Amino acid sequence: MATVIPVGQDHERPSGAALAATLSASLGVLALALAQVLSAVSASFNAAMQTLGNCWMPGAAGIGPYSGKETVAALVWLGSWALLHARWKKRELPVGLIGVVALILIGAATTILWPPVTDLLAHR
Amino acid sequence: MHEVESSDVVPARALWVVVLVLGLIGLAIVGITAPMEGLLGDSAQAIRGAVHGTVAGLFMVTATIGLFQGYRLFAGQARSVAELQLGSVANATVAFLTIVLGNWVYIPYRASGGPRGYFLEHAPEVHKIFFEFKEFAALFTLPLAVAASFILVVYAGTVLRRRDLGTLVAVLLTLVFFYFLVAFGLGAAVTKLKSV
Repeated sequence: MATVIPVGQDHERPSGAALAATLSASLGVLALALAQVLSAVSASFNAAMQTLGNCWMPGAAGIGPYSGKETVAALVWLGSWALLHARWKKRELPVGLIGVVALILIGAATTILWPPVTDLLAHR
Repeated sequence: MHEVESSDVVPARALWVVVLVLGLIGLAIVGITAPMEGLLGDSAQAIRGAVHGTVAGLFMVTATIGLFQGYRLFAGQARSVAELQLGSVANATVAFLTIVLGNWVYIPYRASGGPRGYFLEHAPEVHKIFFEFKEFAALFTLPLAVAASFILVVYAGTVLRRRDLGTLVAVLLTLVFFYFLVAFGLGAAVTKLKSV
């Protein structure tokens, strides 16, 4: 169970901020994997990825929908980090449990992004 | 009143100067003697590949140091937080630069007449499996390296005292090395088959 440590009483910083950074990294790479599968499934989603990349990334036209997938991953990574950090920074949370969850998400993202698996999921 | 420098600092600075001078001598020898066109290749875009490859080579150094530091942390042998912080921030910075330069070199890779079209025509599996997986694996390194450096910078000595946080950072640094290795190995293979 999470424990809230009042500011001023802690000699060691609680684990929440470290776990927010770790879990958000895993959410970012999972978002990348899901964006890749959705791009493979849907031509309109793929086009949306190109449009998203074109919005801000220099050279996006040259690198295609990959620019949008990078953008989605960055937004999910940094957005979830900001949210989780705000909620967890003063909490002592179980490092082992959340670390294992992050590892599972990273493993899932890696598996999804292996092209034969992506094709299988996208029915290509 | 003059402050007396620690006796450890002066030899350390001298060592950095020696390393810098040796590096400059090495660069000068390469610059004067090497056939630069042969090193870079004859493509108009070869400079992009060379720059990306050079920074990726630097990433190999920082990721390997990160792996070693992660092992020392996991084994309870790490002593200097400053070294861990410097190594991890350098690792994250070089990861970012490698990705940005990877985007830069991806443009001629995808361009008409580039390696992508060549592979899709002659060996589609090289693009489909080698390249597509490599381009995503490379992106994994940045958030993982940033998470490791964030924890080391913010928690500092706590990471040495808390076994669970030390293990977490060690795992993150190991994953950075793993995904770097996948991207670097597949990238090198693709480049060997057909470069930009």
